[in-house]
Amino acid sequence: MANNYKSVFEIIGPIMIGPSSSHTAGAVAIGQAAHDLFADQPTEIRVDYYESFAETHLGHGTDYAIVSGVLGFAPDDPRVPDAVEIAQKQGMTIHFVENQGPSPVNHPNTAVVRVSNAKKTIEVTGVSIGGGTIEIRALKFNGYLVKPQGPLPIVLAIPKPNQTAASIVTQLEAMTTINHQETYTNSEALPLFEFDLDRRLQRRQLEQLRAATAQLIYI
Amino acid sequence: MYKSIAELVATAETQHQPISELIIQQEIESSQMSREVIWAMMAKNLEVMRAAVKRGAEGEGVHSTTGLTGGEAVKLRKYRAAGHTLSGDAMVEAIQNAIATNEVNAAMGVVCATPTAGSTGTLPGVLFILEKRLHLTEDQMVRFLFTASAFGMIVANNAMIAGAVGGCQAEVGSAAAMGAAAAVEVAGGTPEQSAEAFAIAMSNLLGLVCDPVAGLVELPCVKRNAIGATDALIAADMALAGCSNKIPADDVIGAMKSIGEEMPRSLRETGIGGLAGTPTGQAMKQRIFGDAFVTEDNPE
Repeated sequence: MANNYKSVFEIIGPIMIGPSSSHTAGAVAIGQAAHDLFADQPTEIRVDYYESFAETHLGHGTDYAIVSGVLGFAPDDPRVPDAVEIAQKQGMTIHFVENQGPSPVNHPNTAVVRVSNAKKTIEVTGVSIGGGTIEIRALKFNGYLVKPQGPLPIVLAIPKPNQTAASIVTQLEAMTTINHQETYTNSEALPLFEFDLDRRLQRRQLEQLRAATAQLIYI
Repeated sequence: MYKSIAELVATAETQHQPISELIIQQEIESSQMSREVIWAMMAKNLEVMRAAVKRGAEGEGVHSTTGLTGGEAVKLRKYRAAGHTLSGDAMVEAIQNAIATNEVNAAMGVVCATPTAGSTGTLPGVLFILEKRLHLTEDQMVRFLFTASAFGMIVANNAMIAGAVGGCQAEVGSAAAMGAAAAVEVAGGTPEQSAEAFAIAMSNLLGLVCDPVAGLVELPCVKRNAIGATDALIAADMALAGCSNKIPADDVIGAMKSIGEEMPRSLRETGIGGLAGTPTGQAMKQRIFGDAFVTEDNPE
Protein backbone atom coordinates (compact mmCIF):
# COMPACT_ATOMS: atom_id res chain seq x y z
CA MET A 1 0.00 0.00 0.00
CA ALA A 2 1.29 3.45 -0.94
CA ASN A 3 0.95 6.08 1.69
CA ASN A 4 0.47 9.19 -0.40
CA TYR A 5 -2.78 10.33 1.16
CA LYS A 6 -2.19 11.12 4.80
CA SER A 7 -5.14 13.32 5.75
CA VAL A 8 -8.93 13.16 5.42
CA PHE A 9 -8.73 16.64 3.90
CA GLU A 10 -6.90 15.27 0.87
CA ILE A 11 -10.00 13.13 0.23
CA ILE A 12 -12.73 15.59 1.27
CA GLY A 13 -11.08 18.72 -0.09
CA PRO A 14 -9.34 20.81 -1.11
CA ILE A 15 -11.79 23.66 -1.47
CA MET A 16 -10.81 24.89 -4.90
CA ILE A 17 -11.69 26.79 -8.06
CA GLY A 18 -12.82 24.23 -10.70
CA PRO A 19 -12.63 22.43 -12.99
CA SER A 20 -10.10 19.64 -12.17
CA SER A 21 -8.47 18.59 -8.94
CA SER A 22 -5.54 16.84 -10.61
CA HIS A 23 -5.11 19.28 -13.50
CA THR A 24 -6.00 22.49 -11.62
CA ALA A 25 -5.60 22.15 -7.81
CA GLY A 26 -2.73 19.63 -8.16
CA ALA A 27 -1.11 21.88 -10.75
CA VAL A 28 -1.25 24.78 -8.27
CA ALA A 29 0.56 22.53 -5.79
CA ILE A 30 3.32 21.68 -8.31
CA GLY A 31 3.76 25.40 -9.00
CA GLN A 32 3.82 26.01 -5.25
CA ALA A 33 6.73 23.56 -4.89
CA ALA A 34 8.63 25.59 -7.52
CA HIS A 35 7.71 28.77 -5.61
CA ASP A 36 9.08 27.33 -2.35
CA LEU A 37 12.28 26.13 -4.01
CA PHE A 38 12.90 29.35 -5.97
CA ALA A 39 12.10 31.78 -3.14
CA ASP A 40 12.74 34.88 -5.27
CA GLN A 41 11.05 37.01 -7.96
CA PRO A 42 11.13 35.07 -11.27
CA THR A 43 11.54 36.61 -14.73
CA GLU A 44 10.86 33.44 -16.71
CA ILE A 45 8.67 30.36 -16.26
CA ARG A 46 8.77 27.37 -18.62
CA VAL A 47 6.36 24.47 -18.17
CA ASP A 48 6.85 21.17 -20.01
CA TYR A 49 3.72 19.01 -20.11
CA TYR A 50 3.55 15.28 -20.74
CA GLU A 51 0.75 12.78 -21.54
CA SER A 52 -2.66 13.76 -20.05
CA PHE A 53 -1.27 17.15 -19.02
CA ALA A 54 0.00 17.73 -22.58
CA GLU A 55 -3.35 16.73 -24.11
CA THR A 56 -5.71 18.59 -21.78
CA HIS A 57 -3.91 21.49 -20.06
CA LEU A 58 -5.87 24.14 -21.98
CA GLY A 59 -9.27 22.76 -21.03
CA HIS A 60 -8.38 22.26 -17.41
CA GLY A 61 -6.79 25.62 -16.73
CA THR A 62 -3.50 23.89 -15.93
CA ASP A 63 -1.53 26.84 -17.32
CA TYR A 64 -2.92 29.43 -14.94
CA ALA A 65 -2.95 26.88 -12.13
CA ILE A 66 0.80 26.20 -12.33
CA VAL A 67 1.58 29.91 -12.67
CA SER A 68 -0.68 30.58 -9.62
CA GLY A 69 1.43 28.19 -7.59
CA VAL A 70 4.66 29.78 -8.78
CA LEU A 71 3.22 33.15 -7.69
CA GLY A 72 2.33 31.63 -4.29
CA PHE A 73 -1.49 31.65 -4.63
CA ALA A 74 -3.63 29.04 -2.79
CA PRO A 75 -5.91 26.73 -4.87
CA ASP A 76 -9.05 28.68 -3.83
CA ASP A 77 -7.54 32.14 -4.41
CA PRO A 78 -9.93 34.09 -6.68
CA ARG A 79 -6.91 35.37 -8.66
CA VAL A 80 -6.11 31.80 -9.86
CA PRO A 81 -7.83 32.12 -13.30
CA ASP A 82 -5.96 35.40 -13.99
CA ALA A 83 -2.51 34.21 -12.87
CA VAL A 84 -0.90 34.16 -16.33
CA GLU A 85 -1.87 37.80 -16.99
CA ILE A 86 -0.79 38.78 -13.47
CA ALA A 87 2.63 37.16 -13.99
CA GLN A 88 3.03 38.80 -17.40
CA LYS A 89 2.19 42.20 -15.90
CA GLN A 90 4.98 41.59 -13.39
CA GLY A 91 7.32 41.24 -16.38
CA MET A 92 7.61 37.45 -16.51
CA THR A 93 7.99 35.54 -19.77
CA ILE A 94 5.99 32.31 -19.77
CA HIS A 95 6.26 29.28 -22.06
CA PHE A 96 4.05 26.20 -22.12
CA VAL A 97 5.34 23.21 -24.08
CA GLU A 98 3.28 20.15 -25.04
CA ASN A 99 5.66 17.21 -25.32
CA GLN A 100 4.58 14.30 -27.50
CA GLY A 101 6.65 11.56 -25.88
CA PRO A 102 6.08 9.64 -22.66
CA SER A 103 6.57 11.24 -19.26
CA PRO A 104 10.22 11.13 -18.13
CA VAL A 105 8.98 9.88 -14.75
CA ASN A 106 6.31 7.49 -16.07
CA HIS A 107 3.15 9.26 -14.88
CA PRO A 108 0.28 10.56 -17.06
CA ASN A 109 -0.01 13.87 -15.22
CA THR A 110 3.56 15.16 -15.41
CA ALA A 111 4.76 18.76 -15.47
CA VAL A 112 8.35 19.95 -15.40
CA VAL A 113 8.44 23.55 -14.17
CA ARG A 114 11.56 25.64 -14.74
CA VAL A 115 11.73 29.02 -13.02
CA SER A 116 14.55 31.48 -13.52
CA ASN A 117 15.83 35.03 -13.15
CA ALA A 118 19.24 36.64 -13.75
CA LYS A 119 20.65 35.00 -10.62
CA LYS A 120 19.42 31.42 -10.73
CA THR A 121 17.38 28.66 -12.35
CA ILE A 122 15.50 25.86 -10.63
CA GLU A 123 13.50 22.94 -12.03
CA VAL A 124 10.76 20.87 -10.40
CA THR A 125 9.35 17.64 -11.85
CA GLY A 126 5.91 17.11 -10.34
CA VAL A 127 3.16 14.57 -10.92
CA SER A 128 -0.47 15.08 -9.96
CA ILE A 129 -1.84 11.83 -8.58
CA GLY A 130 -5.49 12.84 -8.04
CA GLY A 131 -7.71 14.89 -5.76
CA GLY A 132 -5.19 17.73 -5.66
CA THR A 133 -2.42 15.61 -4.13
CA ILE A 134 0.98 15.59 -5.84
CA GLU A 135 4.35 13.86 -5.80
CA ILE A 136 7.68 15.55 -6.48
CA ARG A 137 9.99 13.29 -8.48
CA ALA A 138 12.96 15.58 -9.17
CA LEU A 139 14.34 18.94 -8.02
CA LYS A 140 17.23 20.73 -9.75
CA PHE A 141 18.75 23.76 -8.09
CA ASN A 142 22.09 25.21 -7.08
CA GLY A 143 24.02 22.34 -8.72
CA TYR A 144 21.97 19.66 -6.93
CA LEU A 145 19.78 17.01 -8.55
CA VAL A 146 17.50 15.63 -5.84
CA LYS A 147 15.24 12.67 -6.62
CA PRO A 148 12.73 12.21 -3.79
CA GLN A 149 10.54 9.13 -3.59
CA GLY A 150 7.53 11.35 -4.37
CA PRO A 151 5.09 11.87 -1.50
CA LEU A 152 5.19 15.16 0.41
CA PRO A 153 6.29 16.57 2.78
CA ILE A 154 9.95 16.76 1.81
CA VAL A 155 12.66 18.54 3.80
CA LEU A 156 15.89 19.57 2.07
CA ALA A 157 18.54 20.67 4.55
CA ILE A 158 21.84 22.28 3.66
CA PRO A 159 23.93 21.72 6.78
CA LYS A 160 26.08 24.17 8.65
CA PRO A 161 29.86 23.47 8.33
CA ASN A 162 30.67 20.07 9.91
CA GLN A 163 27.02 19.42 10.77
CA THR A 164 26.07 15.76 10.24
CA ALA A 165 22.84 14.26 9.02
CA ALA A 166 22.52 12.45 12.35
CA SER A 167 21.93 15.67 14.29
CA ILE A 168 19.08 16.63 11.96
CA VAL A 169 17.68 13.10 12.10
CA THR A 170 17.46 13.30 15.89
CA GLN A 171 15.52 16.55 15.66
CA LEU A 172 13.18 15.27 12.94
CA GLU A 173 12.50 11.98 14.69
CA ALA A 174 11.24 13.89 17.69
CA MET A 175 8.67 15.50 15.38
CA THR A 176 7.56 12.71 13.02
CA THR A 177 8.68 9.55 11.21
CA ILE A 178 11.31 9.77 8.46
CA ASN A 179 10.15 7.52 5.60
CA HIS A 180 13.26 7.94 3.48
CA GLN A 181 16.55 9.74 3.70
CA GLU A 182 19.27 10.50 1.18
CA THR A 183 22.48 12.55 1.01
CA TYR A 184 23.40 14.48 -2.14
CA THR A 185 26.37 16.62 -3.12
CA ASN A 186 26.24 19.41 -5.67
CA SER A 187 28.68 20.41 -8.40
CA GLU A 188 30.80 22.17 -5.77
CA ALA A 189 30.83 19.05 -3.56
CA LEU A 190 28.63 20.69 -0.90
CA PRO A 191 26.30 18.27 0.91
CA LEU A 192 22.50 18.32 1.13
CA PHE A 193 20.28 16.03 3.17
CA GLU A 194 16.84 15.04 1.90
CA PHE A 195 14.18 13.66 4.22
CA ASP A 196 10.77 12.37 3.11
CA LEU A 197 8.47 12.71 6.12
CA ASP A 198 5.36 10.91 7.28
CA ARG A 199 3.36 14.04 8.07
CA ARG A 200 3.42 17.81 7.73
CA LEU A 201 5.40 19.82 10.24
CA GLN A 202 4.02 22.61 12.35
CA ARG A 203 5.32 26.14 11.89
CA ARG A 204 7.18 26.08 15.21
CA GLN A 205 8.90 22.80 14.30
CA LEU A 206 9.98 24.28 10.96
CA GLU A 207 11.43 27.31 12.72
CA GLN A 208 13.45 25.02 15.00
CA LEU A 209 14.88 23.18 12.02
CA ARG A 210 15.55 26.36 10.11
CA ALA A 211 17.54 27.75 13.00
CA ALA A 212 19.58 24.54 13.24
CA THR A 213 20.66 24.36 9.58
CA ALA A 214 22.39 26.67 7.06
CA GLN A 215 19.40 26.54 4.70
CA LEU A 216 16.12 24.68 4.84
CA ILE A 217 13.66 24.04 2.02
CA TYR A 218 10.29 22.55 2.93
CA ILE A 219 7.89 21.30 0.26
CA MET B 1 -3.45 4.45 9.29
CA TYR B 2 -6.09 1.90 8.25
CA LYS B 3 -4.72 -0.27 5.45
CA SER B 4 -7.91 -2.01 4.36
CA ILE B 5 -11.67 -1.79 4.67
CA ALA B 6 -11.63 -5.14 6.48
CA GLU B 7 -9.36 -3.60 9.13
CA LEU B 8 -11.54 -0.49 9.39
CA VAL B 9 -14.73 -2.54 9.85
CA ALA B 10 -13.13 -4.95 12.34
CA THR B 11 -11.81 -2.05 14.45
CA ALA B 12 -15.18 -0.31 14.42
CA GLU B 13 -16.91 -3.49 15.55
CA THR B 14 -14.46 -4.44 18.31
CA GLN B 15 -14.30 -0.89 19.66
CA HIS B 16 -18.06 -0.30 19.23
CA GLN B 17 -17.29 2.99 17.50
CA PRO B 18 -18.68 4.37 14.25
CA ILE B 19 -16.17 4.57 11.39
CA SER B 20 -16.48 8.37 11.44
CA GLU B 21 -15.14 8.37 15.00
CA LEU B 22 -12.17 6.13 14.13
CA ILE B 23 -11.08 8.41 11.31
CA ILE B 24 -11.47 11.54 13.45
CA GLN B 25 -9.16 9.93 16.02
CA GLN B 26 -6.66 9.01 13.30
CA GLU B 27 -6.68 12.58 11.97
CA ILE B 28 -6.14 14.04 15.44
CA GLU B 29 -3.16 11.74 15.94
CA SER B 30 -1.57 12.24 12.53
CA SER B 31 -2.11 15.99 12.20
CA GLN B 32 -1.57 16.87 15.87
CA MET B 33 -4.43 19.33 15.53
CA SER B 34 -7.29 19.48 18.00
CA ARG B 35 -10.63 17.78 17.46
CA GLU B 36 -12.30 21.21 17.32
CA VAL B 37 -10.00 22.45 14.53
CA ILE B 38 -10.45 19.27 12.49
CA TRP B 39 -14.20 19.36 12.98
CA ALA B 40 -14.36 23.02 11.93
CA MET B 41 -12.34 22.26 8.77
CA MET B 42 -14.79 19.54 7.76
CA ALA B 43 -17.76 21.78 8.60
CA LYS B 44 -16.23 24.38 6.23
CA ASN B 45 -16.11 21.76 3.46
CA LEU B 46 -19.80 21.06 4.09
CA GLU B 47 -20.57 24.76 3.80
CA VAL B 48 -18.79 24.99 0.42
CA MET B 49 -20.77 21.96 -0.81
CA ARG B 50 -24.05 23.48 0.30
CA ALA B 51 -23.27 26.76 -1.44
CA ALA B 52 -22.45 25.01 -4.74
CA VAL B 53 -25.64 22.90 -4.64
CA LYS B 54 -27.64 26.10 -4.14
CA ARG B 55 -25.79 28.25 -6.65
CA GLY B 56 -26.06 25.71 -9.48
CA ALA B 57 -29.85 25.37 -9.18
CA GLU B 58 -31.06 28.88 -8.41
CA GLY B 59 -32.15 31.50 -10.93
CA GLU B 60 -30.82 30.65 -14.38
CA GLY B 61 -28.10 28.44 -12.90
CA VAL B 62 -24.48 28.61 -14.01
CA HIS B 63 -22.92 28.06 -17.45
CA SER B 64 -19.37 27.18 -18.39
CA THR B 65 -17.39 29.51 -20.67
CA THR B 66 -17.39 26.88 -23.44
CA GLY B 67 -21.19 26.57 -23.36
CA LEU B 68 -20.93 22.77 -23.19
CA THR B 69 -22.59 22.53 -19.78
CA GLY B 70 -24.82 24.55 -17.48
CA GLY B 71 -28.43 25.31 -16.70
CA GLU B 72 -29.54 21.69 -16.37
CA ALA B 73 -29.79 21.67 -12.57
CA VAL B 74 -32.38 24.43 -13.05
CA LYS B 75 -34.26 22.28 -15.59
CA LEU B 76 -34.34 19.45 -13.05
CA ARG B 77 -35.60 21.78 -10.33
CA LYS B 78 -38.47 22.91 -12.55
CA TYR B 79 -39.21 19.33 -13.65
CA ARG B 80 -39.46 18.25 -10.00
CA ALA B 81 -41.83 21.11 -9.26
CA ALA B 82 -44.29 19.68 -11.82
CA GLY B 83 -44.46 16.54 -9.67
CA HIS B 84 -44.32 13.84 -12.35
CA THR B 85 -40.87 12.35 -11.85
CA LEU B 86 -40.47 8.70 -12.75
CA SER B 87 -37.97 7.68 -10.08
CA GLY B 88 -39.43 9.78 -7.26
CA ASP B 89 -38.65 13.28 -6.01
CA ALA B 90 -35.76 12.31 -3.72
CA MET B 91 -33.92 10.53 -6.51
CA VAL B 92 -34.35 13.42 -8.93
CA GLU B 93 -33.33 15.90 -6.24
CA ALA B 94 -30.14 13.87 -5.70
CA ILE B 95 -29.49 14.14 -9.45
CA GLN B 96 -30.20 17.88 -9.36
CA ASN B 97 -27.78 18.43 -6.48
CA ALA B 98 -25.04 16.38 -8.13
CA ILE B 99 -25.43 18.21 -11.43
CA ALA B 100 -25.66 21.64 -9.79
CA THR B 101 -22.33 21.02 -8.06
CA ASN B 102 -20.52 19.85 -11.18
CA GLU B 103 -21.98 22.70 -13.24
CA VAL B 104 -20.48 25.11 -10.71
CA ASN B 105 -17.16 23.25 -11.04
CA ALA B 106 -17.23 23.40 -14.85
CA ALA B 107 -17.99 27.13 -14.64
CA MET B 108 -14.79 27.57 -12.57
CA GLY B 109 -16.71 28.21 -9.40
CA VAL B 110 -15.68 27.16 -5.90
CA VAL B 111 -16.20 23.51 -4.98
CA CYS B 112 -14.90 21.01 -2.48
CA ALA B 113 -13.15 18.14 -4.31
CA THR B 114 -14.65 14.84 -3.05
CA PRO B 115 -12.38 13.04 -3.74
CA THR B 116 -11.72 14.91 -6.99
CA ALA B 117 -13.21 17.94 -8.75
CA GLY B 118 -14.49 15.77 -11.59
CA SER B 119 -16.46 13.71 -9.06
CA THR B 120 -17.32 16.65 -6.83
CA GLY B 121 -21.11 16.35 -7.22
CA THR B 122 -21.52 12.74 -6.14
CA LEU B 123 -21.29 13.13 -2.35
CA PRO B 124 -23.41 16.33 -2.21
CA GLY B 125 -25.95 14.53 -4.41
CA VAL B 126 -26.31 11.89 -1.71
CA LEU B 127 -25.88 14.02 1.39
CA PHE B 128 -28.38 16.82 0.85
CA ILE B 129 -31.32 14.55 0.14
CA LEU B 130 -30.44 12.46 3.20
CA GLU B 131 -30.50 15.69 5.19
CA LYS B 132 -34.19 16.04 4.29
CA ARG B 133 -35.21 12.40 4.41
CA LEU B 134 -33.44 11.52 7.66
CA HIS B 135 -33.68 15.02 9.23
CA LEU B 136 -29.91 15.08 9.70
CA THR B 137 -28.30 17.60 12.00
CA GLU B 138 -25.19 19.49 10.90
CA ASP B 139 -23.14 17.23 13.19
CA GLN B 140 -24.44 14.12 11.44
CA MET B 141 -23.67 15.67 8.06
CA VAL B 142 -20.10 16.42 9.10
CA ARG B 143 -19.81 12.83 10.33
CA PHE B 144 -21.04 11.62 6.93
CA LEU B 145 -18.05 13.38 5.35
CA PHE B 146 -15.61 11.84 7.82
CA THR B 147 -16.97 8.34 7.12
CA ALA B 148 -16.73 8.96 3.38
CA SER B 149 -13.14 10.15 3.77
CA ALA B 150 -12.16 7.01 5.71
CA PHE B 151 -13.22 4.81 2.80
CA GLY B 152 -11.80 7.21 0.22
CA MET B 153 -8.39 7.25 1.82
CA ILE B 154 -8.17 3.46 1.58
CA VAL B 155 -9.06 3.60 -2.13
CA ALA B 156 -6.57 6.42 -2.77
CA ASN B 157 -3.70 4.62 -1.03
CA ASN B 158 -4.44 1.12 -2.36
CA ALA B 159 -5.57 1.95 -5.90
CA MET B 160 -6.07 5.39 -7.45
CA ILE B 161 -8.53 8.30 -7.56
CA ALA B 162 -7.31 10.12 -10.70
CA GLY B 163 -9.09 9.63 -14.03
CA ALA B 164 -5.77 9.97 -15.83
CA VAL B 165 -4.47 6.98 -13.88
CA GLY B 166 -7.51 4.72 -13.56
CA GLY B 167 -10.44 6.13 -15.55
CA CYS B 168 -13.74 7.52 -14.27
CA GLN B 169 -14.28 4.39 -12.15
CA ALA B 170 -11.48 5.80 -9.95
CA GLU B 171 -13.23 9.16 -9.59
CA VAL B 172 -17.02 8.83 -9.76
CA GLY B 173 -16.77 5.12 -8.90
CA SER B 174 -14.79 5.91 -5.75
CA ALA B 175 -17.05 8.83 -4.83
CA ALA B 176 -20.17 6.67 -5.22
CA ALA B 177 -18.68 3.94 -3.04
CA MET B 178 -17.65 6.48 -0.39
CA GLY B 179 -21.13 8.02 -0.45
CA ALA B 180 -22.82 4.62 -0.16
CA ALA B 181 -20.75 3.66 2.88
CA ALA B 182 -21.37 7.01 4.59
CA ALA B 183 -25.10 6.90 3.80
CA VAL B 184 -25.37 3.54 5.56
CA GLU B 185 -23.67 4.84 8.71
CA VAL B 186 -25.78 7.97 8.89
CA ALA B 187 -28.92 5.86 8.38
CA GLY B 188 -28.00 3.70 11.37
CA GLY B 189 -26.52 0.68 9.55
CA THR B 190 -23.57 -1.36 10.78
CA PRO B 191 -19.93 -0.90 9.70
CA GLU B 192 -20.23 -4.23 7.87
CA GLN B 193 -23.25 -2.88 5.95
CA SER B 194 -21.23 0.25 5.08
CA ALA B 195 -18.54 -2.00 3.58
CA GLU B 196 -21.18 -3.94 1.62
CA ALA B 197 -22.71 -0.72 0.30
CA PHE B 198 -19.24 0.44 -0.69
CA ALA B 199 -18.54 -2.83 -2.50
CA ILE B 200 -21.87 -2.79 -4.35
CA ALA B 201 -21.55 0.84 -5.44
CA MET B 202 -17.98 0.44 -6.70
CA SER B 203 -18.70 -2.89 -8.42
CA ASN B 204 -21.51 -1.20 -10.34
CA LEU B 205 -19.16 1.33 -11.90
CA LEU B 206 -16.08 -0.84 -12.55
CA GLY B 207 -14.62 -0.26 -15.99
CA LEU B 208 -16.02 3.24 -16.42
CA VAL B 209 -13.62 5.16 -18.66
CA CYS B 210 -12.56 8.81 -18.49
CA ASP B 211 -13.36 10.26 -21.93
CA PRO B 212 -14.01 13.98 -21.53
CA VAL B 213 -14.83 15.93 -24.68
CA ALA B 214 -11.96 18.30 -25.52
CA GLY B 215 -10.35 17.16 -22.26
CA LEU B 216 -12.76 19.38 -20.32
CA VAL B 217 -14.43 18.34 -17.06
CA GLU B 218 -17.87 18.86 -18.61
CA LEU B 219 -19.11 16.15 -21.01
CA PRO B 220 -19.83 13.52 -19.76
CA CYS B 221 -18.44 14.34 -16.28
CA VAL B 222 -21.37 16.44 -15.05
CA LYS B 223 -23.96 13.72 -15.69
CA ARG B 224 -21.65 10.94 -14.53
CA ASN B 225 -22.06 12.48 -11.09
CA ALA B 226 -25.80 11.92 -11.35
CA ILE B 227 -25.13 8.21 -11.82
CA GLY B 228 -22.58 8.36 -8.99
CA ALA B 229 -25.07 9.82 -6.53
CA THR B 230 -27.90 7.49 -7.46
CA ASP B 231 -25.58 4.47 -7.53
CA ALA B 232 -24.57 5.36 -3.96
CA LEU B 233 -28.20 5.57 -2.85
CA ILE B 234 -29.31 2.29 -4.41
CA ALA B 235 -26.20 0.52 -3.06
CA ALA B 236 -26.88 1.89 0.43
CA ASP B 237 -30.51 0.75 0.22
CA MET B 238 -29.43 -2.72 -0.90
CA ALA B 239 -26.91 -3.02 1.95
CA LEU B 240 -29.43 -1.78 4.53
CA ALA B 241 -31.88 -4.39 3.21
CA GLY B 242 -29.25 -7.03 4.01
CA CYS B 243 -28.02 -7.69 0.46
CA SER B 244 -24.37 -8.66 0.06
CA ASN B 245 -21.98 -7.95 -2.80
CA LYS B 246 -20.38 -11.38 -2.17
CA ILE B 247 -17.05 -10.01 -3.47
CA PRO B 248 -15.73 -8.02 -0.48
CA ALA B 249 -14.86 -4.33 -0.64
CA ASP B 250 -11.06 -4.76 -0.56
CA ASP B 251 -11.22 -7.20 -3.48
CA VAL B 252 -13.36 -4.73 -5.40
CA ILE B 253 -10.72 -2.02 -4.85
CA GLY B 254 -8.10 -4.46 -6.15
CA ALA B 255 -10.24 -5.13 -9.22
CA MET B 256 -10.67 -1.40 -9.81
CA LYS B 257 -6.89 -0.96 -9.64
CA SER B 258 -6.11 -3.74 -12.10
CA ILE B 259 -8.81 -2.56 -14.52
CA GLY B 260 -7.36 0.96 -14.29
CA GLU B 261 -3.89 -0.34 -15.03
CA GLU B 262 -5.12 -2.21 -18.10
CA MET B 263 -7.15 0.71 -19.40
CA PRO B 264 -5.68 2.21 -22.58
CA ARG B 265 -4.24 5.71 -22.39
CA SER B 266 -6.84 7.04 -24.87
CA LEU B 267 -9.53 6.36 -22.24
CA ARG B 268 -7.71 7.90 -19.28
CA GLU B 269 -8.41 11.63 -19.37
CA THR B 270 -6.60 12.37 -22.60
CA GLY B 271 -9.66 13.61 -24.48
CA ILE B 272 -8.83 11.15 -27.29
CA GLY B 273 -11.09 8.07 -27.08
CA GLY B 274 -14.68 7.29 -26.11
CA LEU B 275 -17.16 10.19 -26.29
CA ALA B 276 -14.27 12.61 -26.86
CA GLY B 277 -13.36 10.73 -30.03
CA THR B 278 -16.84 10.82 -31.59
CA PRO B 279 -17.41 13.11 -34.60
CA THR B 280 -19.49 15.42 -32.39
CA GLY B 281 -16.89 15.41 -29.63
CA GLN B 282 -14.10 16.19 -32.09
CA ALA B 283 -16.15 19.01 -33.66
CA MET B 284 -16.71 20.54 -30.20
CA LYS B 285 -12.99 20.38 -29.50
CA GLN B 286 -12.20 22.11 -32.81
CA ARG B 287 -14.81 24.81 -32.12
CA ILE B 288 -13.47 25.51 -28.62
CA PHE B 289 -9.73 25.35 -29.15
CA GLY B 290 -9.32 25.65 -32.92
CA ASP B 291 -5.69 25.29 -33.88
CA ALA B 292 -4.37 26.40 -30.50
CA PHE B 293 -4.88 22.89 -29.21
CA VAL B 294 -2.49 21.25 -31.67
CA THR B 295 0.24 23.87 -31.37
CA GLU B 296 3.32 22.23 -29.87
CA ASP B 297 5.03 25.26 -28.44
CA ASN B 298 2.54 27.87 -27.39
CA PRO B 299 4.34 30.93 -26.01
CA GLU B 300 1.14 32.46 -24.68
